[in-house]
Amino acid sequence: MKSPVPEKMTALRIALMAVLTAVVVVFTLIVRVPTPIKGYISLCDVVITFAAFLFGPWVAAIAGGLGTGIADLIGGYAQWAPLSFVIHGVQGMLIALIARVGVKQGVPGDAKLPAMIAGGVVGMIVMTGGYYLAGGVLYGFEAALVEIPLNLMQSGVGLVLGIAVAKAVLKAYPPVRALAIH
Amino acid sequence: MTTSTFVAGRGIVYLLDARSKLLLVLLLCIEVFLPISQIGLWVLFGGVFLLAWHATGFKQAIQPIRSIAFILVVMTLFSPLTDRDGTGLLFIGERLILTSEAVTNLSVLVARFLSITYLCTLYVWTTPMADVNLAFRWYGLGYHAALVLTLAFRFIPFIADSFRMIQDSHALRTSVEFEGRRSRRQRLADIIPTVTAALVFALKSIPYTAMSLEHRGLGRREKRSSFRQLKARGGLFTQLLVSVMIPTVFWFLFTTL
Repeated sequence: MKSPVPEKMTALRIALMAVLTAVVVVFTLIVRVPTPIKGYISLCDVVITFAAFLFGPWVAAIAGGLGTGIADLIGGYAQWAPLSFVIHGVQGMLIALIARVGVKQGVPGDAKLPAMIAGGVVGMIVMTGGYYLAGGVLYGFEAALVEIPLNLMQSGVGLVLGIAVAKAVLKAYPPVRALAIH
Repeated sequence: MTTSTFVAGRGIVYLLDARSKLLLVLLLCIEVFLPISQIGLWVLFGGVFLLAWHATGFKQAIQPIRSIAFILVVMTLFSPLTDRDGTGLLFIGERLILTSEAVTNLSVLVARFLSITYLCTLYVWTTPMADVNLAFRWYGLGYHAALVLTLAFRFIPFIADSFRMIQDSHALRTSVEFEGRRSRRQRLADIIPTVTAALVFALKSIPYTAMSLEHRGLGRREKRSSFRQLKARGGLFTQLLVSVMIPTVFWFLFTTL
């Protein structure tokens, strides 16, 4: 479907990216789910998946990358900020690009469930693999292996909740479609 | 929720311009992956740590080590196990546990990781976030991209407070007697209404923010607002030159080539 808004940085797009970036930061730093091994996983992937399904690749890439980068800066992991920016940015972009294949009208969130899952799974692989590679370069590939299960769990929860939340938001707040410029 | 990472302190790092400091941090972060001696890497970490200690105090300076302590322990436990080269240092029965090469490699990895951690952390501790944004602007970040960054920082406390309020109101609906009986899956499913409400609340603010931006003149040919300019003490060129000279001198002192 041809977007009614010209392909340029409009005020709406700037506001959309800024608000979603802030939501990613909040969901990374505040909303945490305890794991069986006494750790925590953040829900940033939920928002990234949600943004990808509703607002397309660019918004998901910017909000996901920038949001997690800022969260790393604020949370005391500044060394991870540039890496998170790239990894989560690519993750958001790929989820949206894959999910929207076959969607002729509407947002990627209108896609059939298998397409959304396929996008999410690719996102999981990118996120887990990206952090493994980055961790390997930073502190050795043996030590980086430890983070794989936790990253898989976090991105898996992000995929499941992201799909559920995208469907719920589309139902609860239909005007969201008007914001979806992609 | 506090979004500021700036730590008030003293010393030369506070006098340096955000742009020259960014260049210095970037060059040093790249340099630690080049052929630098093990001593050089530890000297760099020691120097940055002492700088952080002097600037912000010992209690603050030790914080990054606490945050990466788990990774450091994992590195110490697992990294040497796969390294079999060099002289054997530790055996359990017939089995070789630790070699001299493994210790050297571990030392390099730890020093490199600590150096990068402290370089990045010291930068955000000693530079206000607004100046970081302006430094990125100076290095070519677009006006709109910088605006997204600035707006996002404004929205973080607002969205965090809203989320807490929504979370509290949803918690009031849960009966206390069922609190302990819910499975992990059920607890995860319980998050969906809260997250949905928080997202809808955030999404509703977007059209108003867009209107405000247009009222402030966004998109007009004649700009009605602009970003302020950074000022460097002693001249920007001098500071940038120092930022290039420090890694260069470090390279000549500690390169293994």
